[in-house]
Amino acid sequence: MHDNIIDRSKDITILELLDRVLTKGVIITGDIVISVADIDLVYLGVKLMLCSVETMEQLKMGNQVPKK
Amino acid sequence: MKNDLIYVYCISNNPPGLTRDMEPNVVKSLKIDMFYVIVKFVSESEFSEENFKKNLSDIQWVELNAREHIMVIRMIMEFGTVIPIKFGTIYNSETSLKKFITDYSGSLIENFDNLVGKEEWSVKIYCDRKVLCEQIDELSEEAAALEKQIMASSPGKAFLLKKKKSELTENEMDRLCKIYGQEYYDEFKILSEATYLNNLLPNDFVEREESMILNASFLISKNKISEFINTVDVLKKKDGNSGFFIESTGPWPPFSFISIKEK
Repeated sequence: MHDNIIDRSKDITILELLDRVLTKGVIITGDIVISVADIDLVYLGVKLMLCSVETMEQLKMGNQVPKK
Repeated sequence: MKNDLIYVYCISNNPPGLTRDMEPNVVKSLKIDMFYVIVKFVSESEFSEENFKKNLSDIQWVELNAREHIMVIRMIMEFGTVIPIKFGTIYNSETSLKKFITDYSGSLIENFDNLVGKEEWSVKIYCDRKVLCEQIDELSEEAAALEKQIMASSPGKAFLLKKKKSELTENEMDRLCKIYGQEYYDEFKILSEATYLNNLLPNDFVEREESMILNASFLISKNKISEFINTVDVLKKKDGNSGFFIESTGPWPPFSFISIKEK
């Protein structure tokens, strides 16, 4: 079922998704809840992931990837 | 390992028809008071406070689970109105979940009353500044006047005026974006019961070249949805060549319109 879920919602970008599910809805309950610091870490992960996608695309296009 | 923890997706006001597609062994509906709480039982190896936080640093794990979170809620929306719960809200026992529901039942009822018969839709507007820049003399009187001056000037003066114009163009594009954004927002607001302005997302996050100039959520009565979609289509056609693009998605679980005060 996981595959279907992913296939069907691929059009929604990960950030749009996280923007809703991490910061909105009923957010004050639960014995375990993601903290604001955890959310920052998730966003950092997304940024790193998107940067690496960009790097891969540049490689595919044959462009030089600038050294960091 | 035993699945002892309770992961909560949402609360529904109607009994959901959990079909085989929805993994009946995993997604369950617990009837608590008058509410149907949609949950799955999860293991400590994945969702204990410590392990869950470790998993949050694995973005692929987060993406898979966040997509599942929203897809389960979307399926439950087929059967009634839902109050979505934030991703990763976990209870140690049915007793503590029941306590939350009982403590907040008044607030939950108020939220259901506010959401019944309505849907959340998202509207994003993007601006392709390159396209807008090419039309700036037609859209801005000031830019057109400066262009005339440039044409009539000596090469030296024209050089300085061109510099001035590029600054003016940036400012004028910002101004036009504000005007368009406000106009579009007002058109959708008329059709809505409530609105919520989200943060603008930077380009590299939304995987688009254009700049986002509006990111809003609208709560719309079901009987106005077709009018809303029609308005999106009309505006899309109207501004197809102007450098502005509208993108509308929905119905979303009403994440942006939940109001529950902590006790």
